[in-house]
Amino acid sequence: MTKVVIMGEEIMSSVIGPTGPEQRRLANNVMKEALNRAGLPFKSISYVVATGYGRINVPFADKQITEITCHARGVASFFPDARTIIDIGGQDSKGIKINNGRPIDFVMNDKCAAGSGRFLEIIADTLGIKIEEMGELALQSKNPAVISNICTIFAEQEVVDKLAEGIPLKNLVAGILESLANRVSRMVKRLKIEREVILTGGVAKNAGMVQALSDKLGYPVSVPPEPLLTGAVGATLLGKEIAQKAKERDESPERKERSLKEIEIL
Amino acid sequence: MNEKNSDIFSRIESYYSDYGQRAKELKNEGKKIIGYVCSFIPLEIITAAGCVPFRMRGDIHEPITKGNINLETIACPFYRSCFDLSVKGRYDFLDGSIVAHACDSMARTYAVWKYTLDLPYSHFVNLPHTLSKSSMEFFNEELNTFRKSLGGFAGKEISDDDLAEAIGLYNENRDKVKALYELRKPDPPIISGTELTKILTVGASLPVAEANQLFDEVLEELGKRKESPLKKVRRIMIDGACVDNIELVKLIEDLGGNVVIDTLCNGTRDNLPHTDIGGDPVSALADRYLNKINCPRTYRENKEQDLHKDLESRFGDIGFYAREFKADGAILYVYKYCDPFGFEVPARKAYFDSIKLPLLYLEDEYSAGTIGQLKTRIQAFLEMLG
Amino acid sequence: MAEEKKKHKKRRTATEAAASIGPMVKEFISGTLRAKEEGRKVAFTFIVCLYDEILRAMDILPVWTENFAGICGAKRDAERFLERSESLGLSRSLCTYALCGIGFDQWREELGEMPPDAPWGGQVRPDMMLSSGQILCDPRNKWYQASQLYMPDVPVYNIDLPYPLYEDDVEFTDVRDYYVKHIIEELRGLVAFLEKQTGTKMDYDRLSETVDLGERTWNLIWETYDLRRAVPTPMGTGDAMNTMVPMCFMMGTQEAYDFFLGLNKELKEKVARKEGVVEDEKYRLLWGGGLPSWFALSDFNYFNSKGAVFPAETTYRMIESMYQIYMPDTNDPIERLAWRWFGYWVFWHNKARKRPGSHPDVEWLIQYIEDYKIDGIVMHEAFSCRTWHLGLIWQLNQLAKIYKPIPVLVLGKDGKKEKTNRELPSLVLESDIIDITTYSEVDTRNRIDAFIETLESVAKSKVH
Ligand code: SF4
Ligand code: SF4
Repeated sequence: MTKVVIMGEEIMSSVIGPTGPEQRRLANNVMKEALNRAGLPFKSISYVVATGYGRINVPFADKQITEITCHARGVASFFPDARTIIDIGGQDSKGIKINNGRPIDFVMNDKCAAGSGRFLEIIADTLGIKIEEMGELALQSKNPAVISNICTIFAEQEVVDKLAEGIPLKNLVAGILESLANRVSRMVKRLKIEREVILTGGVAKNAGMVQALSDKLGYPVSVPPEPLLTGAVGATLLGKEIAQKAKERDESPERKERSLKEIEIL
Repeated sequence: MNEKNSDIFSRIESYYSDYGQRAKELKNEGKKIIGYVCSFIPLEIITAAGCVPFRMRGDIHEPITKGNINLETIACPFYRSCFDLSVKGRYDFLDGSIVAHACDSMARTYAVWKYTLDLPYSHFVNLPHTLSKSSMEFFNEELNTFRKSLGGFAGKEISDDDLAEAIGLYNENRDKVKALYELRKPDPPIISGTELTKILTVGASLPVAEANQLFDEVLEELGKRKESPLKKVRRIMIDGACVDNIELVKLIEDLGGNVVIDTLCNGTRDNLPHTDIGGDPVSALADRYLNKINCPRTYRENKEQDLHKDLESRFGDIGFYAREFKADGAILYVYKYCDPFGFEVPARKAYFDSIKLPLLYLEDEYSAGTIGQLKTRIQAFLEMLG
Repeated sequence: MAEEKKKHKKRRTATEAAASIGPMVKEFISGTLRAKEEGRKVAFTFIVCLYDEILRAMDILPVWTENFAGICGAKRDAERFLERSESLGLSRSLCTYALCGIGFDQWREELGEMPPDAPWGGQVRPDMMLSSGQILCDPRNKWYQASQLYMPDVPVYNIDLPYPLYEDDVEFTDVRDYYVKHIIEELRGLVAFLEKQTGTKMDYDRLSETVDLGERTWNLIWETYDLRRAVPTPMGTGDAMNTMVPMCFMMGTQEAYDFFLGLNKELKEKVARKEGVVEDEKYRLLWGGGLPSWFALSDFNYFNSKGAVFPAETTYRMIESMYQIYMPDTNDPIERLAWRWFGYWVFWHNKARKRPGSHPDVEWLIQYIEDYKIDGIVMHEAFSCRTWHLGLIWQLNQLAKIYKPIPVLVLGKDGKKEKTNRELPSLVLESDIIDITTYSEVDTRNRIDAFIETLESVAKSKVH
């Protein structure tokens, strides 16, 4: 998903673009939409920061900063006391330890789908339910099924078998969320988690998942108002700092040649 | 080997990209080429036998395929890559290969290696794990067994004088490497990590005398660099096993860090320690390889039952180099399935912590396919260093 | 759910001896906990080090750390300890026994008491840890050093126990003297360390007795396992994964000797009654390598349900007939141990030299195939242990190349049937020793089914 946030004194507009590999090179379209909503021309934007996987695919960005740094900044702006961020996105998951809005350590899983939101998508598909329904369903379960396979493919098979055995759907879904929570917390524990813990990324909208993760960690995790946008918000804040610093020195920030075109590669 | 100095870097480039071209020539001249993978192979003995030691490399761009037929995927991916390339004929010019008892991935696959490649000569050097007096005596004998065995293959009795001469050549080689490392000390360094990795990699593919000459030419050429071609940015150390492809170092440098020092097998671990001269050459070699090469495969006893001293005795060289070369941050780079390094990750982390050097720990496969993943991590680490 | 329960039911063994192992292991664990309370010395150590007798003679109670991890695995309760190790920075690609052990120890140290619901009361805090940097296994060289980070006051003593690999131009007799000398020195170093730790001198008469007992036990086990040659075989590998307990954990004790006396008697009776592991024995298989998945031992019963039995295995055959191991004329028990170690590891060298293309590991398989009338080979590739699992595929490939015992008819060039020989069918299972997340029962049993079908069709095409 491509997200754009435009910030002046505060957020002026934000857009969450469509998903899919094809969309990756169309960051310019999402940008146009955001500009429209803010009622701004492109040239009035003084600085553009690109982040996330697609950060190299944004030809009109002035700087690329990793999602680690941007998330830290974004989350800290909502939760000044945050110490640990758990981000579960569509393609990866990560844990970030932060201090004063800056990352001090991090772990990532971008190697295997089973530790990311993709896992839920695939299983939802297999079960024939909508991914948005998973949270509610899981919360109704008192007896989550045990999903022992870690690999997505095996887990898919296991879910099918268990469904055939007559295990209720809600228990299965709860089991699936639990297994994702296990996997993610197993990774994040390498950081020696400190509170307060903030959950971001698309999965954070899933109430069942928030519950499962809180259960696993033994204390509640908090979710920002727009968990999908924290990275983008962080990027704008960092961009703003760069622009302001340049202004203080009476310079204009170092910028790239830019145009709002789609990129040629891919 | 007598083109002009100004061509030296293009020559290195060519030796690097067509790795083994000189060995092929030498083979055609009738020399015996002996392949090896690990820093524990006593090259002095191979050279003294009149053979040419050749460090086999992996290739992160080449997917491992044929190698999997006889070798399980649970072996170290770096070692598997070397094996895969050999099976595919990349090192067809080898007359023999030597394997050392470094790690399980090597020791437990010696037969696989020996029977599958079926080279005219092969030998396993059994290094002890401990550093007792008896271990040293044992290793001495083991080196003599190797000396006799290789001599038998080369048709030459290896004399003490032959050994002493080879030891001299290698000590010279290490002096030159040291001189190259000195060029990394200025900020910014005179030589980039990418360049140095290439130079050292190429050096390990040549007879030592030729490598010495090559290094001389490089040093002369670099002496002319009045200004560093590099920017003044964060200074990075790499700690780990063997990193014989430039991609990792280059990635760090492309992302805006200078790689200025390492504790890697094909870096300071192997290239700097000298062999003592004057005494019995075999004992001196035993001492160099067992005592002076600091690798986690060798057990260093925690004699005083003191955690801090133990870390210092095992990892003190890391701190020493980090200080000497003024590193701002370090990357601990370990291959999946590597037992010797893998078990030390918590202790190494604790050591880096104790010397207050920020650390990024990466576990990796040996494949160009993971570069994208490394990129985000390394960039974020550099951002963290500010 | 019913499925889950079924798995946890006690596994059926063929012999009563094997069935009696469970309480024995439990007693080890609680025994070490008791000993610790009574102030006796306990030492972490590894199996396959062949210095068990030294510990027994000094009244030091060994804690087999691999065993405890195996128990966690068998109880399907290893995951939380594995995860703990990972959170310390250890990769899941490393020996999962070690990860389980280190995770457990770190947790115990952090709490100052046993972790909650520790399997069988938990693994005791040791007085010392005895590593063994042999040419066998890196984790044995590194594991305790890694554990020491969490219990810095517990001393580690590491010894070298080398043996030579098979070479074309060097015979083991060429290097034997300095190998054995080194092993002896290392063992003496171990004794000195233990004397220092316990404050008592080694009683060498007592050590001679235990070494004697150990040697007699070796011969007894050899004779006992040899009874499994009978058709139908009275005992399979599934049982041997139980009877490895007295062999690998109790060497040098009267208890171990008595256990195998009992097993010997039981097997003889079964052979006399022609009572096999299964009623209708169809296929005799060799477990040709790999540690078992401790959480899935019931796979052996699944094989049995298809009429397949395992009269022999190379795994945990940590003994040979002492009559066939070269032993010089010496009464020094330390020397005897060293010669026994060396002799065990070069046991197959001479045989291998006689067959072109052979290798000791392959020769071992061939000998068992012939001795035990084997129809097929099964191996297990456990991802986390390089020690026992590297080289297995190659061994199968090399075996197939040089040894084709099954006469079959094939269509020749001229369209006529020709008699030729083919290799034994083989199956490689993939999972882990205790990491259950790598295991799929459905997948494993599908593979077993397919393998049984192969055995069937080979049996049919066999010409007599
Ligand atoms: S990287 Fe580790 S496992 Fe690989 S060859 Fe080197 S020591 Fe062995
Ligand atoms: S690596 Fe293998 S042999 Fe070594 S301790 Fe682990 S399971 Fe045992």
